[in-house]
Amino acid sequence: MSKKNKIYWSLGVTEKGTRALLTDENSKFKWLRSQRNRRLIVILEMFGILAVALGSYLPILEIGIFNLDNGTDLIIFSVSAIWVILLTLGCYSLLRIAVRGIADAPDELLDERQIQVRDTSFRYAYLSMGYLVIALLLLMFFGPELQLFQPEGNDGSYLMIATLFAFASAPSMILAWREKDI
Amino acid sequence: MLCSMYATNMSRNSEEPVFNQIEQVRSSLGLSRQELADLVGVHYQTIGYLERGEYSPSLVLALRISNALNKEVSELFSLTEPKEGKN
Repeated sequence: MSKKNKIYWSLGVTEKGTRALLTDENSKFKWLRSQRNRRLIVILEMFGILAVALGSYLPILEIGIFNLDNGTDLIIFSVSAIWVILLTLGCYSLLRIAVRGIADAPDELLDERQIQVRDTSFRYAYLSMGYLVIALLLLMFFGPELQLFQPEGNDGSYLMIATLFAFASAPSMILAWREKDI
Repeated sequence: MLCSMYATNMSRNSEEPVFNQIEQVRSSLGLSRQELADLVGVHYQTIGYLERGEYSPSLVLALRISNALNKEVSELFSLTEPKEGKN
């Protein structure tokens, strides 16, 4: 290993950080790596992404949770949204640790099996994201007519954030779900 | 189709399993999975998957493993289940 900490800019990871994850240097995260716990984190992450996406629609759902014309409700809604986003980000960090950062690692730091499972998870993530994009496009086309879409003033930013989370975490989620315990 | 995508079958070729005696030979030499992994340049998890028959190695990796364990490739890997007690 070179003395310099190589940075893989396109992947957003460093050599030292990736090697630390791959070699299980930090044993305090060992509990994360069982299949059961990995799948729990995947489920939490999915709920988090869904909760963030709902941030674009909660104000218009006729269940009386938030009235954004009310200042107090607006503050509660905004603070709740920030917490949900932070927790979803936290889940994503745990997810990366649970799969040893394999989904984000460059080829030169992985062995042949890890490269294969990484590439397989990306293939399935690509297919899943394809279905998600189709669903979002259908929502865009038919949402206004079915009166499902955001009210005036809501720019759908939470939905965009949720979509970004989904794109970023999909390979790790698939990897975490599929890998068996050894 | 979505369900089959997320199934946990990780074998390179699920229709033709490759049997191996890596675990037996490794244990007889007193090597741990980590030690064998270090010798052949893979992660110890990969050795685990190999031993459980859930991953079929490339030719290069198979040759490295057989060199590390001082065996021929044909002694370690086979397409038929080895008979018990045979080394």
